[in-house]
Amino acid sequence: MAILPPPVGDGTPPDLVPRQEGIRRYDPAGKGEFLDKIENAEDLMELNMGPQHPSTHGVLRLVLGLDGERVRSCRADIGYLHTGFEKSFESHTYQQCIPLTDRMDYLAPPMNNLGFALVVEELMGLEVPARGQYLRVIVVELSRIASHLIWLGTHALDLGATTVFMYCWRERDRILDIMEWISGVRMMTSFIRVGGLMADVPEEFVPMVRAFTTDFQQKVDEYEGLLTSNPIWRQRTIGLGVISAAEALGFGCSGPTLRGSGVPYDLRRARPYSSYDHFDFEVPIGINGDVYDRYLIRVREMRESCRIVEQAIEALPGGPTNSPDRKVTLPPRSEIDTSMESLIHHFKLTTEGFRPPPGAIYHAIESPRGELGFLLVSDGGNRPYRCKVRAPSFSNLSALHKMVQDELVADAVAVVGSIDITLGDVDR
Amino acid sequence: MALRSDPSTLYEMAVCMTCIDWPERELRFEVTYLLRSLVHNDLAWLIVPVVADAEIPSLSSVYPGMEWHERECFDLFGVRFSGHPDLTRILLPDDWEGHPLRKDYVSFGEPVAFTHNIEWALSSQDRPEYLPGATRGAVERP
Repeated sequence: MAILPPPVGDGTPPDLVPRQEGIRRYDPAGKGEFLDKIENAEDLMELNMGPQHPSTHGVLRLVLGLDGERVRSCRADIGYLHTGFEKSFESHTYQQCIPLTDRMDYLAPPMNNLGFALVVEELMGLEVPARGQYLRVIVVELSRIASHLIWLGTHALDLGATTVFMYCWRERDRILDIMEWISGVRMMTSFIRVGGLMADVPEEFVPMVRAFTTDFQQKVDEYEGLLTSNPIWRQRTIGLGVISAAEALGFGCSGPTLRGSGVPYDLRRARPYSSYDHFDFEVPIGINGDVYDRYLIRVREMRESCRIVEQAIEALPGGPTNSPDRKVTLPPRSEIDTSMESLIHHFKLTTEGFRPPPGAIYHAIESPRGELGFLLVSDGGNRPYRCKVRAPSFSNLSALHKMVQDELVADAVAVVGSIDITLGDVDR
Repeated sequence: MALRSDPSTLYEMAVCMTCIDWPERELRFEVTYLLRSLVHNDLAWLIVPVVADAEIPSLSSVYPGMEWHERECFDLFGVRFSGHPDLTRILLPDDWEGHPLRKDYVSFGEPVAFTHNIEWALSSQDRPEYLPGATRGAVERP
């Protein structure tokens, strides 16, 4: 299709240029756009973005229908990372499912551990001691900060700000050091187990976390100094990828994607779990529902998470971390040497696991991406009969075509970054 | 529609939908919708038990977020939704056979051949001519 060059200074308004068959009129104002919108969907140019594209943050394929540089249609093709976790759950005992959950949202693995542990504990009516709950909160809030740091770094990198990426990686590495110190693993920690934790934390844990939280707020100031009032950053993000609150709810969006549209919904506040009601924190919300608002919310959330960690460290109670119920949690190593009962429990738990009562239950937690829910159906056996994972990235991504409608291709990259998907979470 | 807009319910948020397979029941699939009301801070379960080859009306016109979840349900369980705009596989490749989350779907592993199940485990040309313990040439293979 030929492009008619812009008329040269004869003062003729563009609408009066005679229309020629097969030639599309060009916007003389120099915005590089066509005046006629393509009506027929078949005439759009189809562009595959991904599955191997650095800005899709994994293996996401977007089929974009382009009219010039404008995105007129967008279809997300997912499933490249489908691993069948929900089928695998059905053939593993409950404790064996914990390492599987790590691999779903691989940027915040303790979140998945916590979600799964809480749903099983709720089904069994199990209470975790206060120290266990506080340590869980510290670990998941640190992982929320780590996840938001990755998001901020890669999102800024997508839009051309390379320095932020280096800074974010620096801070995330300190969180991974803490994770390594308490669990032995940097990423897939499996630290939170059904009935409590893998183990109590070593004594270096508290000073390490304190050292992290004391200067973290200044680090966030550094990121904000680079981005928040940066004119390039603001031009690239303000007013882009807008979604209204009603639309976001209909699509099942949650987390910063929903709060960016001004809905103050946070499961830590609305339905507190794991003693979140003991802590003082704010739920930041946006006004416009655009990429910039979602950016501001996540940056504020990092600060709030840091505050929660500080409070939890200050008020960290003593005592045991795991539920005393020997039918669920492993007995301490020292007890096995002296007690026959403990040896039997240890043997039964490691070979067979435990058997929750029959029933169906849904429990959701607030992951960095939104509502991470587990729907668990038990038939009384030692494996889940059915475990459905309500992945926040999946629902958030299903609203993508609304957000990128009529935006530029380069801006689609920013929108995909702003909803912060993890493909392991989308495809499961 | 009433659930979404009625002030006394206001289940605005499409949380998720899924299916639970009970192969021994006549109404085999429990199609389960979860809806959340932010105002009332409440979660609603809509459970629709259906027979194996049933087709149920899609909720995607009321809750656009259910569109992908229903595609996932179709993909993994084979439940069909009438009125769905694009009922295709979402997680698995388009040419995949079967619906993996059904309980009777064989998901992994190869059949291991023992003498008691050799007819089932191996096709006729792969079966050995003589089973262990038989005398070569004397006994016919069962």
